[in-house]
Amino acid sequence: MPADEVYRSVSDALAATQRVVLATVAHTRGSTPRRVGAKMAVRQDGSFVGTIGGGCGEAEVWQEAMATLEDGQPRVVTVDLTEPTEGEDKICGGIMRVFVERFEPGDSGDGPLRDTLT
Amino acid sequence: MTGPLSGSDIAAELLRASESGPPVVSCTVITAPAALAARPGDKLLVRAGGAVVGSLGGGALETAIVAAARAVGGRREALTLAFAPDGRRLSGRRALAEAGEVVEILLEVVAPPSVLLIVGGGHVGRALGEMGALLGMSVAVIDDREEYASVDRFPFADRVICGDIAAEVARFPVDANTYAVMVSRGHKQDEASLRRVVGRGAAYVGMIGSKRRTRTVLEHLRREGFDGEAVASVFTPIGLDIGAETPEEIALAILSEIVLVRRGGSALPLSEHGRTRTRLPDGDAPPAGR
Repeated sequence: MPADEVYRSVSDALAATQRVVLATVAHTRGSTPRRVGAKMAVRQDGSFVGTIGGGCGEAEVWQEAMATLEDGQPRVVTVDLTEPTEGEDKICGGIMRVFVERFEPGDSGDGPLRDTLT
Repeated sequence: MTGPLSGSDIAAELLRASESGPPVVSCTVITAPAALAARPGDKLLVRAGGAVVGSLGGGALETAIVAAARAVGGRREALTLAFAPDGRRLSGRRALAEAGEVVEILLEVVAPPSVLLIVGGGHVGRALGEMGALLGMSVAVIDDREEYASVDRFPFADRVICGDIAAEVARFPVDANTYAVMVSRGHKQDEASLRRVVGRGAAYVGMIGSKRRTRTVLEHLRREGFDGEAVASVFTPIGLDIGAETPEEIALAILSEIVLVRRGGSALPLSEHGRTRTRLPDGDAPPAGR
């Protein structure tokens, strides 16, 4: 999924006066499925565009993204892929930190995204 | 131009940069101490010409972030850097551990993907398409045969164009972000498409063929008055010498050459670097790979 499709979905959501959350891999250590800069946009209905690696790591980030959609609070989500869980293969074995931020439609008038931080 | 930016402004600018360019370096605050003016999620954009859009609270910290963004240039796609609130770069675990307060900034070069223009949808073209997409390139294929210029054959391609090869190549937009590869079914087609792409400023132009045949083609172009330098810069015979035989291996050799052109490097096995360097006097050492 090229980055422009993720940006496109962010733009489209904002144009439709919908809030949208962008999750970006900010930091990786060890072997991770995606590199720094990989992105996923999560819309208000919970649907998403793009991937930060799939699997349970992505599900974790999606949950946090839904929380950020709700409260506007940016988050750094640490996804630990080093410990295998019962019945699931986390074959990557690294750790990644994912930055989750909300985009607001319209003009904030008070600096980039400042109005999301009440 | 600086000043407040809305989320929509930022999203629009990043979308434009990622679709059509010119590139923008996006700087996002990831973590910040509570007392800092810049908050997580705040963004500053550094445009291709160096212009800064938005603000991260000004001062030495912002100056340092802008300098880092300009230095990132086109080399790395994304990275997170740590700074002290006074703008000092914190690199290495010790510096991070010793610093009381840390500001983390995610820097991302937002630019359209490089375009791999494949002229010829045969075996080599098909392997190039798959591997080019794997490398994150936007793949375009041109062939004059419907069964070769087909979406079924190139599911990962962004553009599959069927038509007269020379005409389609002439019509195809070529710029400094384009990597053009002539691998069509015959040297006549390759020569025809080469004429339409040489001198248009592509980052890479390569043509498949034997040494003898490709030399003849280049000679034709020179005699017709094509710019000598542009003709000399055509990579032909194409690819790095890795002993490639199968279409997939040839595609790998071609893409290795393209990565070499994009990223720089010595094209030597990394294991050979040390050995070569010890044999040669300092001044003649090959450039270090990393």
